[in-house]
Amino acid sequence: MRRFLDRLYAVSGALAALSIVGICLIVTAQVLFNLVARIMGPGWSYTIPSYADFAGFMLAAATFLALAYTLRHGAHIRVTLVSQTLPKAGQFVAELICFVLGLIITGYAFYYFVLLVWESWHFGDKSPGIIAVPLWIPQTAAAVGLGILVIALIDSIVESLRAKAPILGAGEEV
Amino acid sequence: QSWDMPTPYGDSTFHTQNIAQFAADVSAATDGGMTITVHSAGSLFPHSEIKNAVRSRQVQIGEFFLSRLSNEDLAYGMDSQPFLATSYDEAERLWAAQKPVVSALLEEQGLMPLFSVPWPAQGLYTNGEIATVDDLSGLRFRAYNAALEEFATLAGAAPVQVEASNIPQAFSTGQVAAMITSPSTGVNSKAWDFVTHYTPINAWVPKNIVVVNKREFDRLSDDVQSAILNAAEVAEQRGWDMSKAEASQQTAALAENGIVVYEPSAELVSGLQAIGATMLENWNASASDDAKAILSTYSN
Amino acid sequence: MSDPMIAVVLFAVMLVLLALGVWVAMALMLVALVAMVAFTNAPAGLVLATTLWGHSHSWALAALPLFILMGEILLRSRLAEDMFSGLGPWLAKAPGRLLHVNVLGCAIFAAVSGSSAATAATIGRMSVPELTDRGYPERLIIGTLAGSATLGLLIPPSIILIVYGVATEQSIARLFMAGVLPGLMLVLLFSGYVAVRAWMNPELIPMEEIKSSFKDKVKGSRRLIPVALLIIGVIGSIYTGIASPTDAAALGVVLSIILAVSTGSFSFADFKDALMSATRTSCMIAFILVGAAFLSISMGFTGIPRNLAAWIGGMELSPYALLAALTVFFVVLGCFLDGISVVVLTTSIVMPMVSAVGIDPLWFGIYLVIVVEMSQITPPVGFNLFVIQGLTGINILRVARAALPFFLLLVLGVVLITIFPEIVTALPNAMGN
Ligand code: NA
Ligand code: NA
Repeated sequence: MRRFLDRLYAVSGALAALSIVGICLIVTAQVLFNLVARIMGPGWSYTIPSYADFAGFMLAAATFLALAYTLRHGAHIRVTLVSQTLPKAGQFVAELICFVLGLIITGYAFYYFVLLVWESWHFGDKSPGIIAVPLWIPQTAAAVGLGILVIALIDSIVESLRAKAPILGAGEEV
Repeated sequence: QSWDMPTPYGDSTFHTQNIAQFAADVSAATDGGMTITVHSAGSLFPHSEIKNAVRSRQVQIGEFFLSRLSNEDLAYGMDSQPFLATSYDEAERLWAAQKPVVSALLEEQGLMPLFSVPWPAQGLYTNGEIATVDDLSGLRFRAYNAALEEFATLAGAAPVQVEASNIPQAFSTGQVAAMITSPSTGVNSKAWDFVTHYTPINAWVPKNIVVVNKREFDRLSDDVQSAILNAAEVAEQRGWDMSKAEASQQTAALAENGIVVYEPSAELVSGLQAIGATMLENWNASASDDAKAILSTYSN
Repeated sequence: MSDPMIAVVLFAVMLVLLALGVWVAMALMLVALVAMVAFTNAPAGLVLATTLWGHSHSWALAALPLFILMGEILLRSRLAEDMFSGLGPWLAKAPGRLLHVNVLGCAIFAAVSGSSAATAATIGRMSVPELTDRGYPERLIIGTLAGSATLGLLIPPSIILIVYGVATEQSIARLFMAGVLPGLMLVLLFSGYVAVRAWMNPELIPMEEIKSSFKDKVKGSRRLIPVALLIIGVIGSIYTGIASPTDAAALGVVLSIILAVSTGSFSFADFKDALMSATRTSCMIAFILVGAAFLSISMGFTGIPRNLAAWIGGMELSPYALLAALTVFFVVLGCFLDGISVVVLTTSIVMPMVSAVGIDPLWFGIYLVIVVEMSQITPPVGFNLFVIQGLTGINILRVARAALPFFLLLVLGVVLITIFPEIVTALPNAMGN
């Protein structure tokens, strides 16, 4: 189970990274096309259809798919200035409360996000650009990312209860 | 009762001013029993989310650019079909044909249109005069939807996607050399900073639409409902008048600020209309029955 | 409950959540949720989902991960080190020495990027480790970085000037021009402050290698060529129209990879490292951005910011008193909302007040950006603070303390453009018509 979960976070993080590479590639390709048009004249103009939309969708995928991976790396910013002054037991409780509050808001967001995706699919919402993309497709990537964050928070709560000690880095120095 | 109303455009846009008046009218007609708070310039929801926010009752009422939805059904985008309806009279007839169909489509999403107000007809902005369609050939032309891309290609121009906020820079760096937009947008973005010529080719007369969530509307008392419907009717009339006044004022403002405003030559007009006709043929191939019904009502 | 009471309650909730150690993004969402559920009738969950989606796929934001990736690549290649070694001899006699690289680096980068978070992340990724290794004092490294990175908002291109220009229908081209001189003014103020600190306390600043002759300095500067090429390539692509500002970010990544590989000090493993690190940092920032957007929207539903702004409007102040009152208002609001939200939430109410007393909306846009810059470095919610904590691990209160002098310099900047409005208006007026 442990290995499966760690793989899950790593794979979704890797997919997020690939989305960033995707943004970079699509935008670079367009810049090269612009350069060609500039050198060869407007007859050589080419625009990748809806490339701004696609870059935006990949950004959303990158952000949401990386959520759990970033959390487990302790790279989401938090302020541990106050809780650090507590004794170890207090730190454990504070962190547990954070996990639970995080789970509440994330679970809540996840539930409604799934609803949003369902609505998009049900009503056939499409992006307004040159290429009509059914919005549920990019939204599903975001929903999956939120779902994995929910899993990561549950995982962290279980782990924290077992260890009876703080388990995550603070994203800051000790 | 109080409603929140997200709108996409800023407070100095006549659409927003018309809506502010609409909200004030509703409040006055109900003796303050119904207040509508207008959240302009996308301050509550981005333009892309306004329709869905009304649909799922996050807000009760909202405004958006109607042909944004043309990817969902071509019926929504009829008013942005180049050279189909090019004057206010034609636009009014088109809206009369479009309204029942659009209303039915929106009703499937639980939405009800209240009123729709056009932007001034779209003109052509370039550096240098355009006498015939041939002059457009080879120009880098701003396109932000499928119809415009097709138009540019048919005119022999090179379609280029430029985000609205990036237009001045795109012109000044030569990334684009021509665009079609309303004189209002031209004035608001101070087009004289980056183009020299404008001609009112009246390519199309696009509209904004104000919709309410049907369930939220049905929950209101009859008095309030009729107050809203009355205010909407008045707002639609006032909006069209504002739009007409805006068209001549803003075209004059373009000229005052040093842009050469010229009437399109007969040759240019006929060339553009030929492109419009070709586009309509292509359009017919992919249009839904609903959209075709609009066209046949409008054409007769 | 009255609006000020609600604001106090929400602020208290936020402080408690942050003190507990709740992740900033989630704390913002939780506060927004409390505000929506307790003080409005809007369906909070649906609004949250709409916000998460609506604010996460914007094209303008797509540049953020790319700029961060560029910084990570430069950090892992020899380019960053080369840049500092190359500049060292030139700045050896300047009071403050390489600290000016932080200020100028941010200013140059600000001409490429429209956001202060990307500026802080990219420049800070290189300069913080380099300057720390060389023994510069932490407070000045962090302070100059936090302060100067806010220039990303003022020196064109600028996301917030676009937002303001769209909302108030000002010409974005003119706003961009108007931002140039105030940007340079702030650069002078920041560099001047560093110089004064160095004069007052010379042992604060470590020595740099002194090259005696001009020729030696030029020789050493060969190491600057790759970075100079990168900067010229990226800025050049924007100003020749080959790339929009977002496009330029991708070009920056590609160029920095090419340069890094050509120095022979950059492997595929380094690239993977850089990419994963950029993925985490951009996720962290984007998550906070959507959290802040949700808080901003919940404030839109509660109507608190517009009511407070309207209350200020009701006082019928003179122009200077109005500006003073608005500054206090924006600084307080900026402590717990992000800068763009502050602009978006209040323009409808504030703009009529401002035009009524005859303040030029173009000038006001620049004023607003400087005030928003302040909000980037005030705790508890300040984006530059979060970014720098993410980069260095130094907690945000310590970062905020280091940034305090720069906050005060921004206040001074506001005073200066108020006394001499020509700093703002001269360039756009010279633009023609
Ligand atoms: Na900038
Ligand atoms: Na702040």
